[in-house]
Amino acid sequence: MGDFIKHPFVDMPDRNPEQVIPNDQLVFTSEEKKQIQTWVSHYPTADGAVMRALWLAQEKFSFLPPEVIKLVAAEIGIPYANAYGVATFYTQYFKEKKGKHVLDVCTCFSCQLCGGYDMLHYIENKLGVHKGETTKDGLFTIQEAECLGACGSAPMLQITNGPFVHNLNKDKVDALLDALREGKVPAFTSVTLPQDEDEMGGNRRTDVSSVESYIVPPISETVS
Amino acid sequence: MDDKKTKAGDWRSYQRVLLPPVKDLHKLDVYEKHEGYKALREVLTTDKWNPTSVTNEVKKSGLKGRGGAGFPTGLKWSFMPPVDPNIPRFLCCNGDESEPGTFKDRQLMEYNPHLVFEGMLIASYAMSIKTGYLYIRGEFADWITLMEEELEKAYAKGYVGKNIMGSGYSCDIVIHKGAGAYICGEESSLMSSLEGQRAYPRVKPPFPAQKGIWGYPTTINNVETLACAPLIINKGGEWFSKIGAPSHPGPVLYGISGHVNRPGVFEYPTGMLITDLINEVAGGMRGGKKLKALIPGGSSTPILRADMIEGVTMDADSLREAGSMMGTSGMLIMDEDVDIVSWLRRITHFYHHESCGQCTPCREGTGWLENIVTRLDEGQGQLRDLDILLDLCTQMEGRTVCALADAAAWPVRYTIDRFRSEFEAKCSTETVPSGGVLETA
Amino acid sequence: MPNITVDNETLEFDGRPRLLQLCLETGVDLPHFCYHPAMSAPANCRQCLVEVGTPQINRETGKPNLDENGQPIIQFMPKLQTSCSMDASDGMVVRTHKSSELVKRAQKDNLEFLLINHPLDCPICDQAGHCPLQNQTYKHGPEGSRFEFRKVSKPKQIDLGPRVVLDGERCINCTRCIRFTDEISESHQLTIIERGVRNYPMTPPGVEFDEPYSMNVIDICPVGALTSKDSRFRARTWEMSKTASISTVNARGSNCYYWVKDNKIVEITPRTNMDVNEYWLADEDRLDYRIFNDNRPLGPTISGADVNWDAAYKAVADCLKGAKGDRVQFLGSAFATVEDNYLLSKLATAVGASTPMYLTHTEAGRGDTWLRTDDRTPNSQGCERLGFQPANRSALRSLIQSGGLDVLYVLEDDPVASGLCSAEDLAGVKVVLHYYNSTNQTLPAADVAIPAATAVETVGTLVNDQGHAQRLRPAKSIAGVNRTLSMEIGKCRADRHGTPFDKWYDESNLINCQPGWVSIPRIASDLNIEMNYKGPRNIMAELSSANDAFAGATYEAMGEFGVRLSEIGVTA
Repeated sequence: MGDFIKHPFVDMPDRNPEQVIPNDQLVFTSEEKKQIQTWVSHYPTADGAVMRALWLAQEKFSFLPPEVIKLVAAEIGIPYANAYGVATFYTQYFKEKKGKHVLDVCTCFSCQLCGGYDMLHYIENKLGVHKGETTKDGLFTIQEAECLGACGSAPMLQITNGPFVHNLNKDKVDALLDALREGKVPAFTSVTLPQDEDEMGGNRRTDVSSVESYIVPPISETVS
Repeated sequence: MDDKKTKAGDWRSYQRVLLPPVKDLHKLDVYEKHEGYKALREVLTTDKWNPTSVTNEVKKSGLKGRGGAGFPTGLKWSFMPPVDPNIPRFLCCNGDESEPGTFKDRQLMEYNPHLVFEGMLIASYAMSIKTGYLYIRGEFADWITLMEEELEKAYAKGYVGKNIMGSGYSCDIVIHKGAGAYICGEESSLMSSLEGQRAYPRVKPPFPAQKGIWGYPTTINNVETLACAPLIINKGGEWFSKIGAPSHPGPVLYGISGHVNRPGVFEYPTGMLITDLINEVAGGMRGGKKLKALIPGGSSTPILRADMIEGVTMDADSLREAGSMMGTSGMLIMDEDVDIVSWLRRITHFYHHESCGQCTPCREGTGWLENIVTRLDEGQGQLRDLDILLDLCTQMEGRTVCALADAAAWPVRYTIDRFRSEFEAKCSTETVPSGGVLETA
Repeated sequence: MPNITVDNETLEFDGRPRLLQLCLETGVDLPHFCYHPAMSAPANCRQCLVEVGTPQINRETGKPNLDENGQPIIQFMPKLQTSCSMDASDGMVVRTHKSSELVKRAQKDNLEFLLINHPLDCPICDQAGHCPLQNQTYKHGPEGSRFEFRKVSKPKQIDLGPRVVLDGERCINCTRCIRFTDEISESHQLTIIERGVRNYPMTPPGVEFDEPYSMNVIDICPVGALTSKDSRFRARTWEMSKTASISTVNARGSNCYYWVKDNKIVEITPRTNMDVNEYWLADEDRLDYRIFNDNRPLGPTISGADVNWDAAYKAVADCLKGAKGDRVQFLGSAFATVEDNYLLSKLATAVGASTPMYLTHTEAGRGDTWLRTDDRTPNSQGCERLGFQPANRSALRSLIQSGGLDVLYVLEDDPVASGLCSAEDLAGVKVVLHYYNSTNQTLPAADVAIPAATAVETVGTLVNDQGHAQRLRPAKSIAGVNRTLSMEIGKCRADRHGTPFDKWYDESNLINCQPGWVSIPRIASDLNIEMNYKGPRNIMAELSSANDAFAGATYEAMGEFGVRLSEIGVTA
């Protein structure tokens, strides 16, 4: 944390970047268009659908270069500048190309006190890159995340805006990285309510394959 | 154990209602078998209920918002202007849960999604609303998928949509996916985000009930708050008002994290003794360490020292007396080994990172706070820095459009206030001339 | 009438004005940055905080509760309120920095925050001297800085578009520029990007901020974050004098200020006139000022040879003296003032010629539905109202080519450049030309050439395309002594900079030219024609009473903002 306060430089985005997505790929399929129009119909004005449409575009193109943001704006009929302002406001929209797997390691609040930085530094050392950077093979980007809303199962991380991995420790990180290298993204994991364990003997959901409990959090070796 | 002080009564035999122990309650058919959508059916199809009586029942229950501010829910509903058929009205259910230390709504949405939908529908009916937006933070992608699947089933069964249960009342629910911004949990910022704008909070007045999303009357409630509505209809406002602390009643989801043996989300009445929650519910301090401090309800609620919690219960009145707030009831428990300056440094970083940048005091102040606390944490601070910090807090509090500046200032103010000696101990003994720039690596 | 009390003084108001606007209009000087009367009020700069109280209303009676003295009990809001986002309401009590220590402190605190990341580069900043941040810091700000860290570095010297330059570090995120492009011009070319302290305004990638009204964001920027690519670094604001006048590059006559240094126009900025251009000015109105500075004539000429003014006037008189009225054609000018065209028509009548015609200059597509017009002249409606017809170009050309004319008298126009005829066509015609620039293509064909004062050097009236008659005022001096001009310069410049009476007066760049209301009466006098006016003011007074098309258009009535003429006579 705190890099910005010591080196407070705000870079300017490339104002005339080369197009990354070729024109023939820079289109939505008719199904995608239909989906976007459904979202548009959910709001009094089309603007409301911009966040969903940006999500769809990010899933399709893996990130949001300017031409994609422009495409989204055109598809829902809002000014390009507005869509661009929205895209840069939110942290989960990737404005530049990231690794195949983006590891958002939470270090905020509870995670800080329960070893979030240990995990962040462990992953950084293991992958040989700093937070904010992508490994040379393009597989991993490590990011330091603000509170992800899983404080009871700290430390934890999120994989590419998708599944949460709870109750992290070094072994778990090792296994996770190996699995991701093989292209296996962990399934959704349900975290059991302590009271369910007492009253129902475990997780209440029968339809999830991956289940974890809240456990005693690890002792943080480094606080920051 | 001193049960006399707790307002939660015989909490050890408390029967959960928000998350009752039912296998697969998240599935629609299971939910239906357990009084699912019964409250909605009763409200929509019996003469007993009309929008006013539903609102009155909620008022009677004494339900206060669970999102942080603790505003009386029934009163909020009654702020909606009289119905004008030409003017749409909206409900927003705030599932942007991003206050550090808070993780209860996520579990409620996972384990009892239909209770949330049913609560939204009852609230919508009470305010004659035809569209409800459920705003869920983008990080909860998996839970959004789950909620969408369950919502689709509810639509298929006619619990949501046109002419619900043949009552003639129609209401849609739309799930809106956020994309990573703490500020969206603030209600007016959430409205901007829903409208597809940069999520800047808006000046109040006008309040959302007068001029909300797209300028139309809007009410915004937290997920857990709305989930209480079906319970209130089913069992009565009076029943609800007798759970827990009389001035702040009802079931509440305590999210306990930090240095305890058994963290997690627990459902108990309000008014639980903090000591009970730590020592009994959460299994005591990890490794037998001593409690140093705790945060009762998310990162912006003032920190309480271990010696300040004797007899304090988790309700607005008791926490106010103790010098803090109920907030989101997301509790962070810290043991004696915590370096409080380092911890505060991370909090200031969080608010610096999450300030939307709209208002001057917050945009500039959050960064300045982080600068100074970082300098202190690195042993280069001066005693005068503490005074500057407190001064900056005064300059930020109550001076911005939304409460983020207050939320950023409070942890600083109260942590210094309550742990001043730890800050002083970290101050540099060398005198640094004014105007020096922080240069450490 | 409803009223509010501000610092113990009572202000009356109509309707539901915003509190800040009401205060500003009634002389209560509240500091502010993000508020602009034409746009929404996001209340983001937090500078205009005040204490606000309202009468406590008895719920049963609906009337205010009274204290023991019979005065309404005032309930103050717990927090300071931004006056820009509050509507004034009857009985409201407001405390500003003048009566409240709390407000005073809040304003100081806010300025301290605004300045921590703002560069201290006022000495090289174009905004310095007329910078709201600078001014308000002097008035209300802290005396020193307690900020001991690096300021945030942001992109600087960025061409947002062809005409506007951004300095991201100076930006205080008031969002006026964004709101201008969203709410006023609706070009949607700008947005705030990033978040928090990293925020700054930017175009999305691949987009130029090139809308035809882009430079308005420079005027409304309360700091030096947005500056004019054209005029930046060319003059400090205190080195310039500014004159309230009107723009002449199109037919709208947008109200503007001409900024002058060393008798050269340096910059043109908008002047608020709610009947014409509101707060705004199109970019084209700002950038065509070089015609006032460059390629100006050195003095009158006869067949290209320099002569003195008396000789030139006599030569014109000689041209007209010998000619038969029906073989003399006068061309009035939609660039020239109503006064000069009126005098020209009198001259034409006196020598027996027909009513002057004028050349139209329109470019289809140049106009829009806002402040730009296809008509590239400022006064074609003035000509029409004088009864001038647009010249039938082909008929006039045939007349010239067939030798049907002895004299062509051109007032402040360029028939050759405008394609009426070639310079060779005019070989057999005696041409009298009043002109602005030495680039005038009719000049080689002119027998007598009279340098004319431009719109920034004269006194006169122009009628815009909507029939709004407005006054031109002299922004800079001309060579020689002209008491009317000197007096007008002195009168219309509050600062008096650039006048012969102040220390900035400079004799460089004075143009040896004359307004039509000087030159035409002199020519008339050489022809023994009666044309005695004390000045343009009297000409307009006569015209406004003699011609219904100009009824009411006296200098007194036109004042700063002009008068709307009645519709009659538009197609006379």
